[in-house]
Amino acid sequence: MNRNIRILGIALILCFVALFVQLNRIQIFQQKELQENPSNMRSVVRDFNRERGEIITIDGEIIAESFKVEGQLEYERTYPYGDLYAHSTGFFSFQYGADGLERYYNDQLAGQKETQQFNSLKDIFTVTDTSADLTITINHSLQETAKEALGERNGSVVVVDPRTGAILAFWSYPSYDPSIFGSSDLQAGEKAWEEYSSLPTGEDPRLPKMYREIFFPGSTFKLVTASAALTSTSATLTEPEFDIRATYTPPLTTFPLQNYAGSTCGGDILEGLRVSCNTTFAELAAEIVGAESLIETSEKFGFNEIPPIDLPSPAESIFPNDFGKQVGETDNEPPIPILENTPALAQSGIGQFNVKATPLQMALVAATIANDGILMKPHLMDSFTDQNGELIEVYKPLIWQSVLSRQDALSLQLAMEMTAASGTATNLAIPGVVVGGKTGTAQVDADRPDDTHGWIVGYAGPNDRESTLAIAVIVESVPGQGQLTGGTDAAPIAKEVLLEALKIQGFLE
Amino acid sequence: MKSRNRNIEFFLLLFVAVLVVAGYVLASLGRSSSIPANIVPFLIGILLLLLLAHLAVRKFAPRADFSLLPLAGLLNGIGYFVIARLDKDLAGLQATWTLIGVVAFVATLVLIPQVRRLEQYRYILMTIGIVFLIMPLIPGFGREINGAKIWVSIGSINFQPGEFAKIVLAIFFSAYIVEKRDVLSTTGVSRFGIAIPELRHLGPILLAWGVSLIVMVAEKDLGSSLLFFTLFVALLWISTGKISYLIMSGALFSGGALLAWSQFSHVQERVDIWLRPFDDPTGDGYQIVQSSFALAEGGFTGTGLGVGTPENIPAVETDFILAAIGEELGLVGTTAVLTLFLLLVGSGLKIALTSTRPFEKLLSAGLTTLLGFQAFIIIAGVVRLLPLTGVTLPFVSYGGSSLLANWVLLALLLRISDEARRDETDENPTRMGAG
Repeated sequence: MNRNIRILGIALILCFVALFVQLNRIQIFQQKELQENPSNMRSVVRDFNRERGEIITIDGEIIAESFKVEGQLEYERTYPYGDLYAHSTGFFSFQYGADGLERYYNDQLAGQKETQQFNSLKDIFTVTDTSADLTITINHSLQETAKEALGERNGSVVVVDPRTGAILAFWSYPSYDPSIFGSSDLQAGEKAWEEYSSLPTGEDPRLPKMYREIFFPGSTFKLVTASAALTSTSATLTEPEFDIRATYTPPLTTFPLQNYAGSTCGGDILEGLRVSCNTTFAELAAEIVGAESLIETSEKFGFNEIPPIDLPSPAESIFPNDFGKQVGETDNEPPIPILENTPALAQSGIGQFNVKATPLQMALVAATIANDGILMKPHLMDSFTDQNGELIEVYKPLIWQSVLSRQDALSLQLAMEMTAASGTATNLAIPGVVVGGKTGTAQVDADRPDDTHGWIVGYAGPNDRESTLAIAVIVESVPGQGQLTGGTDAAPIAKEVLLEALKIQGFLE
Repeated sequence: MKSRNRNIEFFLLLFVAVLVVAGYVLASLGRSSSIPANIVPFLIGILLLLLLAHLAVRKFAPRADFSLLPLAGLLNGIGYFVIARLDKDLAGLQATWTLIGVVAFVATLVLIPQVRRLEQYRYILMTIGIVFLIMPLIPGFGREINGAKIWVSIGSINFQPGEFAKIVLAIFFSAYIVEKRDVLSTTGVSRFGIAIPELRHLGPILLAWGVSLIVMVAEKDLGSSLLFFTLFVALLWISTGKISYLIMSGALFSGGALLAWSQFSHVQERVDIWLRPFDDPTGDGYQIVQSSFALAEGGFTGTGLGVGTPENIPAVETDFILAAIGEELGLVGTTAVLTLFLLLVGSGLKIALTSTRPFEKLLSAGLTTLLGFQAFIIIAGVVRLLPLTGVTLPFVSYGGSSLLANWVLLALLLRISDEARRDETDENPTRMGAG
């Protein structure tokens, strides 16, 4: 019997060992993952009744602040500019947790980072306000211009400094006033929350579309296809020449791919970009660049990866990474594989099929080209300041990826500048400065061929130096209202924003 | 020997009092930055309770093991200061239940001078056990709370008879198995190298299985069902050492569980929540997801007592109290609780090993299994190792029936320990002299 009791003892010990292992997994190994889970609101609930730092734009406007109030909750979080910054700051709510910068930088704003806790021995024994103020890279007057320029049309405007990755304007419509969730009037917050939750996803103003929604990039993606051609094949801006034609039929299909509005075009890559020639880029993708290089180049630009931006849960832009098995070879020299889905690859080369990108991602494509091929990590944080006004942390620009050689980047700049000067993006041109652009008119879905999103990506800067601004604008289609094109709908908005930005930077009067 | 044991126990209990008071003060500091106003009465209360239990053991079971009472006292104390930090009203009730528990502990020691006397009442105890088990199903008596029909209401008092049934049934099982031991151990036909007992001897297993299925299905109490069945199988294993019983019971339980899963939506729901809690983090999975967040928030050292936010876990004072401990005391705290239970299991099984009579051996091992395995299944539910089964964490969770039953269980263990040592010295009178 004693032997059996010992075995029972061992069995019970093993049970407890299993518990110990599992506790280690949850409390130590999965700790970070669980703490960052979107439905985890513990830190917000913990921090709600504390002092909390302000969020301030780079030009000194306070866009989020806390006030002491009487009642059940000790503080209210308010956002003086209403909906203007909602998609950057996010909200800070007792009931619904936090989103945006409020969530990403919660520990610093609440003064809960270990480094903020104890500056000196004295802090251990006294209660001090350790919260930090966050200064962000957005410029207030540029943000206002972006909002006014887009108006009451669903869409997004993203302006980035290509040299640093700093985000200078970040607007998407529709937006909302986050004060309602930070208010101590919990019922009002609950009412708004339920109302927003009942809307279809695309109409929910809480959704920051510029970094959490993905769209067909359409022709703006031709920049990526052209980059792949310059980087990985012997093609240049002027070699090879493509047929001038209205349609192109990729291998393995009889279904032809058409140019915009039935027009005919062709010629070299430079001309293809200037007039946004679908047949040229479809053939380039399907028969010259090939799947492997196009996947590789799009991933260098940031596709198929969570962007390293300082905001919670950014969406991953998608480029399909499997086009099936090889079934043959092209006749070109050197030959590239023809895959089962080469027709889809042709579509992907012009930003359709399953290619989807956030407006942020497309701004980064333009920024990479403008920054001579170097992609910087996008960011909103500029610095943190403690309550005595002393800087405690300053953002240092970081390279995300080296995408293009300087040579190839300069070629693409030439093409984009020609597109703005005499191609589809002339509405973007601004006299007296360098402007490059690329338009896009992206089909929304196959069922509604007449509804399209209008896109523009571009950059601008002084004549004699590197570009200081990169931009992406998307104006979303309105069902039944017909085609929106990048050139006529998105470009004027981008131009208005760039003009203001150039004035702020001192390059224009 | 006997006074040395009691002296060690006394000093351990003083240490327990210091730890519990420290936890209580820290939790209050963490919550309101103030020393609790009732600190002096609290300290005196704890000392009196522990002293009462200690003196009872000194008088009525002087040779008993010295570690059980301090371990139980510490677990009860940890549970108390965590509950006090979570809910002041419940803390008052828990204090009352602790007092009643300790009184019941003393009463058990006084009223049962020899455990073997219980052996002869086995069939009465079996009847009581079954009545306790099915009481919640009797209309007018039974009451469903939080989806489980395990409560009985008499007047304004609610209690869970299942907590007492487990002790009564442990006594019955032990006595029954001792009586039938020879029959149960005879080898029947041998197949595939495994000795299969004759069919008629499987009767008791089938009965235990049937009862546990009824509990699982009719009362929706998965935890108790698993606990009863494990208890029975453990006792059968200890007395016969036959692997075939383990295999057969394992198969029977799996079959029963599978049947219950395929037939009953509440069982399926439990399993779904267990496998995919994050599919519905604000609905069905809320409790287990919040518990995981709490444990993760605690990390290695915890947020500190009174500083976390474990209040938002439903049933945190009862089933999920370990999540609260894990949040505020971290892995250090949860490991400490696991260690305390392991020590309790070790001491309990040591009593079983040193007992000389089969009935006492089985009973002490059975009671220890009840404590250890109940702690295991509820913690396993909290940490997502098993589907959640709502049983209490012995001595730690809030709950009157549970505390009372576990203090009685502890008294029985001490009683058996005392008897075993007494037998030892009776049989080897020279040992004392030699020392």
